[in-house]
Amino acid sequence: MADLSSSAGGAVPAGTDKTPWRERLAPWAFRAPLIFMVAFFAIPMAMTVVFSVFERTMFWMEPGFTLFSYENFFFSARLTNFLNSMKYSLISVAICFVFGFPIAVFVRKSIPEVAQHRVVLLFILPFMVSEIIRVFALRPVLQRNGLVNTTLMDLGIIDEPITALLYTHTGVVIGEVLSFLPFIVFSGFLAMEAVPKYIFEVCDDLGVGPWRRFVDVILPLAAPGIFAGSVFIFVNGLGVALLPNILGGAGAVNAGLIATQAITALDFPLAMAVSAIMMATLTTLLWIGHKLFDLTKILTPLS
Amino acid sequence: MTNGTQPMTDQTAPAVEVRNLSKHYGDFVALKNVNVTIAAGEYFVLLGPSGGGKTTLLRTIGGFHKPTKGEILLHGKSVGHLPPDKRPTTMVFQAYALFPHMTVTQNVGYGLKVAGLPKDQIVEKVDYALEQVGLSQFTHRKPHELSGGQQQRVQLARAIVLDRDILLLDEPLAALDAQLRKDMCLELKHLQEKVGITFIHVTHNQEEAMTVADRIALIANGDLVEFGKARDIYRAPEKSFTASFVGENNMLKGRVAEANGSSVTVDVAGSKLTVDKRGLNVTDGQEVNLSIRSECVALDRVNGTNAPADGLSILGTYDESVYLGLTTSHMARLPDGTEMVSRVISDTDDTLPEANAPVRLSWKPGDIRLHVE
Repeated sequence: MADLSSSAGGAVPAGTDKTPWRERLAPWAFRAPLIFMVAFFAIPMAMTVVFSVFERTMFWMEPGFTLFSYENFFFSARLTNFLNSMKYSLISVAICFVFGFPIAVFVRKSIPEVAQHRVVLLFILPFMVSEIIRVFALRPVLQRNGLVNTTLMDLGIIDEPITALLYTHTGVVIGEVLSFLPFIVFSGFLAMEAVPKYIFEVCDDLGVGPWRRFVDVILPLAAPGIFAGSVFIFVNGLGVALLPNILGGAGAVNAGLIATQAITALDFPLAMAVSAIMMATLTTLLWIGHKLFDLTKILTPLS
Repeated sequence: MTNGTQPMTDQTAPAVEVRNLSKHYGDFVALKNVNVTIAAGEYFVLLGPSGGGKTTLLRTIGGFHKPTKGEILLHGKSVGHLPPDKRPTTMVFQAYALFPHMTVTQNVGYGLKVAGLPKDQIVEKVDYALEQVGLSQFTHRKPHELSGGQQQRVQLARAIVLDRDILLLDEPLAALDAQLRKDMCLELKHLQEKVGITFIHVTHNQEEAMTVADRIALIANGDLVEFGKARDIYRAPEKSFTASFVGENNMLKGRVAEANGSSVTVDVAGSKLTVDKRGLNVTDGQEVNLSIRSECVALDRVNGTNAPADGLSILGTYDESVYLGLTTSHMARLPDGTEMVSRVISDTDDTLPEANAPVRLSWKPGDIRLHVE
């Protein structure tokens, strides 16, 4: 390569200066993503851990080493709240899967190939509305005299309004499902790519019933994609402060909101510690998932 | 020939009987009033161009499509309402039809497992099926560790292990390269002879069809054009579509000049050609097609005096020749612009006629055929 370009440069006298320049610059184009990831991802993550052991001051923090923030987290209601938010995020993931994955399978199986991607695009439409507005709009639907309660009462199904729908874990879960359902549809749709074209017809031919078909064929093939979608929802359920902020209440918080509240209280080391714990939890989860399903498969097309 | 272990089936009835079958997709007509009977133990090929309806017919027989009109009888019993797994048929697909996460053994045994057979019986049957297709060495491989040909063998094993007596093959060799396709063709033929069940094989490849088939049916534009033994389809096509699709036929358009007795005189590009009437209805002035296989046409230089008047030759001008190894094709142009090909097995270095030199194309009486449709 080098020989070729230098001789070519020699043949064009005017260009002799410019060619080596470009040549030297070119490799950096490939390094750019790495630099980006280090600068905006790895370093901030490392700094989060470092700051979490700093000493708290009145308005900021100062270098030092103390585990006070971690103590503060693990020996208070925060730990219970954190574990609860993990539990409810898992519930959200499960509900999203139950509703979203069949949609993905349906789109792959029953909609003509040319229209499939357009149908999936429909699920992006909700994202065109600001998330705050979308979530906030749930309040008049779920509240005591909201749409759901009045409808159910008018139909005579309930006598008294259900108050558990808002400012509770239930409210947060409803918000999470409505916000994140499209992600399981997307990942499920991509995961179904791993299912060979004629497999469903083969199943018809062999007399494989719907349940077996799901457990023996679809699930094992789509597992990496489903896991990726589930992790995405779980992470957001744990980390997006907005949802419990608007729909949650006493105790119905998540890790993101705990950190936000710590920042509001100007306890930066605590906020950093919460973030670091969340990061560690999720990294462990991803590692387990990778060991189980080999997540690289998601991006490998079927040969 | 037939599978004697199937007590449910009527041995005297044909394996497949398709009656007045039509299939519409909205306004699109995929099959029009198809009638065909396939004997038990026969290797039957559905041959035709892509989009002609042959796969639709196969899938309707297999129960993957519901017919719009007409009915299908398998071993004398109507199966219009039965799903694929309740029919005595099983399907082998083009490709992309193996369970990627299962080994060869698991793939082949899955149907039996679903059917609830005991484990030891499954093992026994799977071993036997894999032996039949020559895959005993590869039982623990996953599909992605196999070649295209081996993957198709796994599909074959998965189908024959079910002990159903009609095997449907939908372009089973289309995804393979040319050499492998040839080898697999013969293997398919031998497998069918070995297991003795009915094979119905869809392909657009003529050579593949002729290698494996006991009988071939030509399907185009939703019509079953013609069926018969490979030799008959090739040597004596009834319809002009068959002549144009199978082999390398010269198709000549002409007008009937005189129809008397058993032969017809047809005016083609100014020459009067004689052709056997074959009992067809023709009237004077009717437009007809003639077909002659290119290997039956002899090409000679014209030296001024031997103008043809025998009704079995036509004059044209020499165009060019194409050397194809085994054969050489000589192209000539008739006065009306039609191109005719004379194909000869010869490897001589004789000088060829010059371009635009007058040439005479001739054939033997039985080689030219009349088509009226």
